[in-house]
Amino acid sequence: MFTVKAPQSHSLNPGVVLEFLQRTLPFNELSPGALEELAEDAALDFFPKGTVVLTQGVTDISHLYLIQKGGVKLYLQDESGAVTLKDFRGEGGVFGALGIIRGAKASMTVEALEDTFCFLLNKQTFLKLVTNDPRLAQYYLKSFSENYIHKSFSELRRQRLTPKGEGSLILFSVPVSDMIKRDVEAAPGTYSVQKAAEYMARHRIGSLLVEDAKGIVRGIITDKDLRSKVVAKGLEYRTPLREIMSSPVRTIPADAVCFDALLAMMTHQIHHLAVEDGGKIVGVVTSHDIMVLQGQSPLYLFREILGQRTFEGIHEVSRHVPQVVRPLIEEGGKADNITRVITVLNDLILDRLLTLLQEQLGPPPLPFCWMLMGSEGRKEQTFRTDQDNALVYADPRDDQEAQRAEAYFSRFAEEAIEHLVKCGFPRCLGDIMASNPKWRLPYSGWRANFDRWVSVPEPQEVLHSTIFFDFRPGYGDKALAERLRDHLTKTLQGKELFFRHLAQDCFTSRPPLSFFRNFIVERDGEHKNRLDLKARGLVPFWDFARLMALRHGSQETNTLRRLKAVADGGHIPEELYRKSREAYELMMQLRLVHQLKLLEGGKTPNNFVDPAELSDLEKQTLKGAFSVITSLQNFLKSAFMLNV
Amino acid sequence: MHMLTMTHPLQSLFSWWPSLPWGRRDEHALLKANREYFAAFSQDKPLTEYEFVVFDTELTGLNERRDEVVSIGAVRIREMRIDLQNCFYTCIQPDQYVPKSSTLIHRITPCQTEEAPKLETVLPEFVSFCGQALLVGHNIGLDIGFVNRALKKHLGGALHNPCLDTMRLAMLYKESQWENYYDRYNLNVSYTLTDLSKEYGLPLFDEHNALQDAMQTAYLFLFFVHKLHGGKIKTLRDLYVAGRNWRWI
Repeated sequence: MFTVKAPQSHSLNPGVVLEFLQRTLPFNELSPGALEELAEDAALDFFPKGTVVLTQGVTDISHLYLIQKGGVKLYLQDESGAVTLKDFRGEGGVFGALGIIRGAKASMTVEALEDTFCFLLNKQTFLKLVTNDPRLAQYYLKSFSENYIHKSFSELRRQRLTPKGEGSLILFSVPVSDMIKRDVEAAPGTYSVQKAAEYMARHRIGSLLVEDAKGIVRGIITDKDLRSKVVAKGLEYRTPLREIMSSPVRTIPADAVCFDALLAMMTHQIHHLAVEDGGKIVGVVTSHDIMVLQGQSPLYLFREILGQRTFEGIHEVSRHVPQVVRPLIEEGGKADNITRVITVLNDLILDRLLTLLQEQLGPPPLPFCWMLMGSEGRKEQTFRTDQDNALVYADPRDDQEAQRAEAYFSRFAEEAIEHLVKCGFPRCLGDIMASNPKWRLPYSGWRANFDRWVSVPEPQEVLHSTIFFDFRPGYGDKALAERLRDHLTKTLQGKELFFRHLAQDCFTSRPPLSFFRNFIVERDGEHKNRLDLKARGLVPFWDFARLMALRHGSQETNTLRRLKAVADGGHIPEELYRKSREAYELMMQLRLVHQLKLLEGGKTPNNFVDPAELSDLEKQTLKGAFSVITSLQNFLKSAFMLNV
Repeated sequence: MHMLTMTHPLQSLFSWWPSLPWGRRDEHALLKANREYFAAFSQDKPLTEYEFVVFDTELTGLNERRDEVVSIGAVRIREMRIDLQNCFYTCIQPDQYVPKSSTLIHRITPCQTEEAPKLETVLPEFVSFCGQALLVGHNIGLDIGFVNRALKKHLGGALHNPCLDTMRLAMLYKESQWENYYDRYNLNVSYTLTDLSKEYGLPLFDEHNALQDAMQTAYLFLFFVHKLHGGKIKTLRDLYVAGRNWRWI
């Protein structure tokens, strides 16, 4: 009643609350009008350290509490008086929201951990905003919502990487159908190559689709085919197209984005893709079209690697991988896509290296396969991942052959590892490399290894062998590794003891509880100030996906694809799959950005994230991601009836 | 002279006690009501039942006879909570030109004050804003001195609201924190608003803006009231007793 409007003022309202709300989640999402309303009759209260602000089941919540400075802990107390710590809230944190939304008494006891200043916001205004603005309700009622993940991703890109030039979204936003330059150019398969060449020259096109009598596209010929398959081989110009065409034509759906096209081209080492729309070929996209669209394309590097004829050359170009990957992250590539690109590039580097090495050392005495393990096996390589590899070769027929094989492959492996180090892949600290005689075995040796791990599982050994279960063929006679995988899948059937060990292993890492200030709060209330994103965040997902995939006979090695396979098979609930996919992608993304930043700062990439560098939004989403790990563990607990 | 001024137990906390209403002018009705209300003032109610107005002034200088007020900012505390939307702030046009030395501190320029109202038009509004609240300030003696000098001149009276000084509270609190005898000789002690706020980890506001400083003082006041005497201060009298005990130990 004494309020006096100042006759002249810079600002009657000191704007303390308003300003604070504007930079606090989730209020900063609200309209300015809504914020002013919320700020309108705000008050400020002070709670010295140790004050119990709300008491579970007792306190009627009169306001929404927003912490301006200080921190509180939230805990539950059961009838026996046992206390379960639920969460910590620091600056910008809110408590009392759930009680207000539910119209119930305080659901948890809130105690000030330090001297704490809180804004008290009007309960009715807050309730009105929650009803009117679904974003706000979603924030408080859903622990881990897609909405925030999406925002988190874009914030990751925007804030954590200083933009280099104009980051456009071209690769990830332009559908391939937009890249089609002209109508489909097709010729009947009975046409002679000369007629086709003449047609291509007249129309200035580099490729021509080949149809059968019914007008169905059966293949494609390109400039390169004319050169290498006709002229170089001295074929007659009368040769019909159907004899030299590449068939079938690789196609891509019209609504796929250019990035998918790029990846498909790189994977199959081709330059033309037919665009398919509703079962019909509507045009052709070329790698050239995409490269023009996108200056710093991974395809450039891909060609560079492919063109290398010396070891030194390969060492050199392989260092450009991060430069190519960076724009992809900036442009909105999700971690899954990025790691796929890195995997394709690294696979190619390996391919070139080992091919050159074979040329140098001469042909191997026996067919062999270079196997990739760990993150390489899962196709989840980020930057400068440690080498994890092994070698399998066909069983020698006699001792002499065995000796020759050992002599050749030990030298081959030693040198390969050296070259990989020079390409920027550090040695594996655990010595899980093909140069280690333990991991360079004939097929029967590997089969025996897996049989032992699976059939007579010793907890320690299971722990150490998990990395091998992610193997995939990398180079050489891939059938060898595939046979091993088939054998493993068969052997694993019904090996419940082994799966139980794996399941138990999934509980060794307890996800952290929360962030408080710039600390990670562990479940026991201890503060730690660095977050090992790999050990605390990613490993639980790897372990879970591996266990479930192996148990249900999936031969996938990639974590996301493993999860999808077991979800499609109905072995995990759809909701759990969706949540884990999101959580996993978020953490992978965070790790990728973190490592890229280190790399560009001239440092060695690692997995240790400083919470002080995370934004509120990132902390919130990470917290949600951790809670998913708990869900995974709970699922295993009931699936394996573990009483941990 | 009425009883309260003589025996008022809060006196040890007051840095200044208003002079008697013997002005040349007739006492303004607002001030008369103010004087009569505080003549019968009880200090035994819980703190939450009192209202406090925390205020601060910016001045043209520190000379009480020559210098003038150029802005007043005030914040209200109700139920021991800062009422963030019930604030008072105004610039004031002084009779003299705002000297550069003071502009450099509070950033109020002569041009700004030219458009501002004169002190005499602002004073009744400020007195109304203070109403029946207790006044709080950091080194409040200085501010209330300037205000009351102006009140005497323009409205023929003075504010009788009991005053509490957060600087005194800070001294009490610091003394309570002394662990050994030599702590009291520590010369590296600052009692400025900002240093205290930093020392106790309070949210920080811009310095030398009357409203922001008033807000900062209000935070400091809440902090001390809750922290003094182990948080056992419930009534206004408790606050006084806490002060007296520390004084005589």
